[in-house]
Amino acid sequence: MRWVTREGCHVDRAACAWLIRRFIDPEAVFSFVADPTEVPADATPFDMRGVELSHVGGRCTFEVMLDRFGLVDPALAAIAEIVHEADLYDERFDAPEAAGLDVLIRGLSMVRPDPDLLEITAVIFDGLYEYRRRPLLEGRQP
Amino acid sequence: MAGAAKTEWVLLAYRLPREPSTPRISVWRKLRRLGAVQVLGGLVALPRDARTLEQLGWIADEVIAAGGDPYLFEGRPGSLTQENELVERMRSEVATAYRKLVAEAETLPSDTDPEEARRGLARLRRELARIRRRDFFPPPERERAIAVLADLAAAITETPRASS
Repeated sequence: MRWVTREGCHVDRAACAWLIRRFIDPEAVFSFVADPTEVPADATPFDMRGVELSHVGGRCTFEVMLDRFGLVDPALAAIAEIVHEADLYDERFDAPEAAGLDVLIRGLSMVRPDPDLLEITAVIFDGLYEYRRRPLLEGRQP
Repeated sequence: MAGAAKTEWVLLAYRLPREPSTPRISVWRKLRRLGAVQVLGGLVALPRDARTLEQLGWIADEVIAAGGDPYLFEGRPGSLTQENELVERMRSEVATAYRKLVAEAETLPSDTDPEEARRGLARLRRELARIRRRDFFPPPERERAIAVLADLAAAITETPRASS
């Protein structure tokens, strides 16, 4: 499936792309547009104003996607809190990792184009997911 | 002062129904946290960058969801004088916040219980991060606030951690 988002990706779009490829559509192909009117008819847009998979009621797109695709997983919920804070900084969650993740991805976006950014951040999110998941599997707190 | 404005801005003009008041307050809080300057009633501005464009876009969506009308514009003030006026208002708001932070740091007595001092420092650092995120035109007070917290941290960490 084709998925489309705005160019100049930051934390929410990077996290969503990782989520899509790992949990929703392993064959996902991503492209980037400057304006919502450029979204091809056969593609699913995300994290763009006025589309279904986007910010809703103070929640970031990653949180909305977890809901929309029924992904109930405490490790993903923990990542959602980090992404929310790194994207919105509204202090709804206690996620001290957010500030670091924000800076890392902001820096990466200065030295790499969007497709590379998604490849690199996918590894970061794989690691974050494993870090949050393993203690749950082993029945102890992270 | 004459000349052309130097900064690209993003402006949000919006109107919200008088009732309910919850979305009005939510929008107002978000604009405040972003550091937006109120140009006139219902018109706010921020220096334009990828983040401010995006964040004002989400707020515009929130205005629509609350039954209001938002308009997003990008542009420059007509003169440097007018731009400076906006910049000065933004700078003076954060300068006040930095001064308040420094005053709070100075009231943390040096003989406070070390654990309490650490908690106080953590709180002040969070506040510093909040102010810095909306500080687009740093006033001199910023360096002072950073230095005062650094000194405070040095003083506290020289104290051995209390054994529990």
